[in-house]
Amino acid sequence: MRGIPVTGHLGSPRIRRAVAVTVTLAAAASLAACGSSGPSTTSSSKGLTMWALNDQTILKQSVDAYNKDHPDAKITLRLFANDDYKQKLRVAFGANQAPDLFFSWGGGALNDYVKAGKVDVLNATDVNSDRYTDSVMQSATFDGKVYGVPVNGLAPVVLYYNKKVLSDAGVQPPKTYDDLLAAVKKLKGKGVTPLSLAANSKWPTLMYLEYLLDRTGGSRVFANIASGDAAAWKDPAVTKANQKLQDLAKAGAFGDNASSVSYDQGASTALLYTGKAAMEVMGTWEYANIAKAAPDFLKKGELGYTAFPALTGGAGSPANIVGNPSNFLSLNKSSKHKSDALTYLKDYILNGSQVDAYLASGSVPPVKGLDSKLAAVSSASDKAWLTFVYDLVDKAPSFQLSWDQALPSDQADPLLTNTDKSFLRQISPADFGVNMSKAGS
Amino acid sequence: MAAPALLLFGLFGLVPLIGVAALSVARWDGLGSISWAGLTNWTSVLTDSATWQSLWLTVKVMVVSWLVQTPIALALGLFQAPRGRLRALFAVLFFLPLLLSAVAIGLTWQALLDPSFGIGATPGLHWLAKPLLGSPELALYTVIFVIAWQFVPFHALLYQAGIRQIPTALYEAAALDGAGPVTRFLHITLPQLKYTLVTSSTLMLVGSLTYFDLIFVLSGGTGGPGTATRVLPLSMYITGFQAHDMGRASAVATLLVVFGLGLSLLTTRLSGFTRMDSQQEGM
Amino acid sequence: MSTTVTKTRTPATEGRTVPSHRAPAPGPVRKNPVPGILRRALTGGAALSWTAIVVVPIYWLVVTSLRSKSDFTSDSPLALPSHPTLDSYRTVLDGDFTTYLLNSVVVTAGTVVIAVAVALMAAFSIVRNAGSRFSRVSFRVFLLGLAIPLQAVIIPVYLLIIRMHLYDSLLAIVLPSAAFALPITVMILVSFLRDVPRSLFEAMIVDGAGDWRMLWSLAAPLARPALMTVAVYDGLQVWNGFLFPLILTQSGNKAVLPLALTLFKGQFGIDVPATMAAVVLSTLPMLALFILARRQLVAGLTAGFSK
Repeated sequence: MRGIPVTGHLGSPRIRRAVAVTVTLAAAASLAACGSSGPSTTSSSKGLTMWALNDQTILKQSVDAYNKDHPDAKITLRLFANDDYKQKLRVAFGANQAPDLFFSWGGGALNDYVKAGKVDVLNATDVNSDRYTDSVMQSATFDGKVYGVPVNGLAPVVLYYNKKVLSDAGVQPPKTYDDLLAAVKKLKGKGVTPLSLAANSKWPTLMYLEYLLDRTGGSRVFANIASGDAAAWKDPAVTKANQKLQDLAKAGAFGDNASSVSYDQGASTALLYTGKAAMEVMGTWEYANIAKAAPDFLKKGELGYTAFPALTGGAGSPANIVGNPSNFLSLNKSSKHKSDALTYLKDYILNGSQVDAYLASGSVPPVKGLDSKLAAVSSASDKAWLTFVYDLVDKAPSFQLSWDQALPSDQADPLLTNTDKSFLRQISPADFGVNMSKAGS
Repeated sequence: MAAPALLLFGLFGLVPLIGVAALSVARWDGLGSISWAGLTNWTSVLTDSATWQSLWLTVKVMVVSWLVQTPIALALGLFQAPRGRLRALFAVLFFLPLLLSAVAIGLTWQALLDPSFGIGATPGLHWLAKPLLGSPELALYTVIFVIAWQFVPFHALLYQAGIRQIPTALYEAAALDGAGPVTRFLHITLPQLKYTLVTSSTLMLVGSLTYFDLIFVLSGGTGGPGTATRVLPLSMYITGFQAHDMGRASAVATLLVVFGLGLSLLTTRLSGFTRMDSQQEGM
Repeated sequence: MSTTVTKTRTPATEGRTVPSHRAPAPGPVRKNPVPGILRRALTGGAALSWTAIVVVPIYWLVVTSLRSKSDFTSDSPLALPSHPTLDSYRTVLDGDFTTYLLNSVVVTAGTVVIAVAVALMAAFSIVRNAGSRFSRVSFRVFLLGLAIPLQAVIIPVYLLIIRMHLYDSLLAIVLPSAAFALPITVMILVSFLRDVPRSLFEAMIVDGAGDWRMLWSLAAPLARPALMTVAVYDGLQVWNGFLFPLILTQSGNKAVLPLALTLFKGQFGIDVPATMAAVVLSTLPMLALFILARRQLVAGLTAGFSK
């Protein structure tokens, strides 16, 4: 830690000052060089960069397959935790340091990037998109143009339950909302958390509202909201849905600690398979998570699943589902490796081996003509699960994309905040609609 | 010769200071371009009850932290001031929290206070199994407690140093005059600690106004549960980097600057920091 | 070195013996400036309870990091691990830990070198030209700088870094960190250098020394204790800094230790032993510093705040 190594006279003070500044800047510059040449930089000029979520193990296999075939132009894959990812992606685009290929949920959130001119259009032939289910492609199609391809399985939200915990409490898997309330009471009596909820992450709470609104008022209520009509938030069905959520919370359905449980920790999943909670409302990806974290629990057949309860007297069809039709990969418009990216999307995404891998892990990819593959699944429990999911999606009159992805992202934060506040009963059920209509206008 | 320092600080310290005010009248979502927004951000921020709630939470943190930390730090400083091997051992133990970064402390306590798997699961300690970080009522106080855990050692060091500087001659004289222990404490120790008290309190108050790291980690980055721990700095971060409303966030940030600057100037003026009085007067 | 320097600069961790020439006073006043048995009982009680509050979490932290994943859900939290294992540490070390450590070291060293060098130059210039308007204004600027909270100006700094194409580099952390370290560093160095007798400088001028020589041969060596103090203080601030890395970097391989801890948490999720192992590993450098250079560490930590 020495001072400026200047000895002797250097002439006028101005020169000395200039030398000092130069030396400082040089030191800084060498730091920059030192800092940016770490192992596996994300901006190698040779290969593509791609961002996705931590839990996408099968997607990662497709990257590995590509890299094996293209050893001198590999894809550098970066994985993120769910709650972090959306923010990091946005910041990256804002700093013009976004990856070539990026993972998303489609919907309004993807549309934001499209509208900002950051996403490239994908031609059907370039990526062979005819093989995908039409309804799923809708989520990545804006103004008639396709901006993303699906990459993993159909992910509607279902009700999971721990068979043993329910039977110990003498409770049947609830078929209606009233059944659910009754179950909550019995389960609380047994000292078990009725519904495991990662309320800290907020989007799990949103799932309840999505279903409750659909069951109460039918799918047209949110369709109106999503089309841009902010006043549609004040529909009485919205208030009723919030009321039902708050009723559940008041009845103690979610336990005391939901607000400090965040999904990324895997804690809400763990509560289910360790028997501390009886049920969990979550997307179908949870099946694969449980398979990884508690394989015995699955093997012993202790996991149960059913559709979200129906609402007697509600306007929505009990066969409607909410969730994520699929996740998508989109191409960054300023990417310098477009042809490589298209090759990857065409030949490695949801190709034969990927489809098989998804099926084997309990996930149904949005690919046409799966019947024969489904029939060929060997494990009986997996077959039961896959058939359940496939039928659920197949028979659903409507499949609503998660609201925080369906709406433009400037509404996502108020949505999540108000959902949380409603859950905590800090606002009245009617205020939710009022606040959201303000946010949407 | 002072040029490089002024340049560096000017660029990253002063320019941003003006920048916050400038951005507060702009609209930017972090993705597109920056455009003029007039006073819309300001009206939105100032009329939103959430802003005032954040401010109130921040004030609570400041005041309660001071009320909790100062007596403990003073007591510890008194305890630590005399020399001796036993004291030296305690000194090492007390110092340990200072070795941990705010994130380390946050992650540790977050895991420790988990009702299902943390310390509350110990037989006999089930009263600790409350959702200390999960309940909107308790969360803020739990956070204040962990902040105290982090910073009391630092302030205790300040008080310890301050006490060690009090000339024993004062105490000897007082003892000769027949003053009892309480009198000696009230009339010698406390007044002599005035400088330390002011320094410690200033650091504490100004520090808690802008404190971010630990609260961010403990609340999982959300200011939760709900908005129970969404103090002003956290509110700014969430508005800017999660809701992507940089203009509005800058308005909140400007508020933070104003309060921070105001508080600093007020306390340094009251304490005469720039004058460096001698406390040896009257010896 | 003049005695005035010692009085204002050295933190009071040095022992100070006051020979008592008078007759011994009653009670424990003689060796102990803290009078009163009552108060000793109170402070002792506070100390004991605080010791428990400090030690228990740290004990839990270490013990949990040594537990196996399966034991974590079954063992009693405060009991010693039934099957202690270093698996968690292995997991963390496999996970790029050395990269993060290296990043932290580079960032800290870079920031400290830049901040201290530049601040010393500024302090020297301010003190030597104390009469000039430029110096007074400079001093005021840094005084003002003390009050600017870095959390509040992070958004414009972010914008600046992006425009300078420095986003997601280690330099993006170093430059703003050094800038924000300047006010306190300059303040401390100024108040130190102020106490250096002018006569020493006059003597050098008579010898024909220019400003740079005076800085290098006189001021810097004299200021060594202060330089050490500010280096430690600035270093500690940067080492534990979280906000700048959080916002100004995005790549995993640019993360510094505090940020890396949150990355580990996101990666390990419910694997608490692994997260705790990461915490322990990230604290080891500080622990090493504490063991090797405790005095400097304590001095640096309370830099100038204690008189």
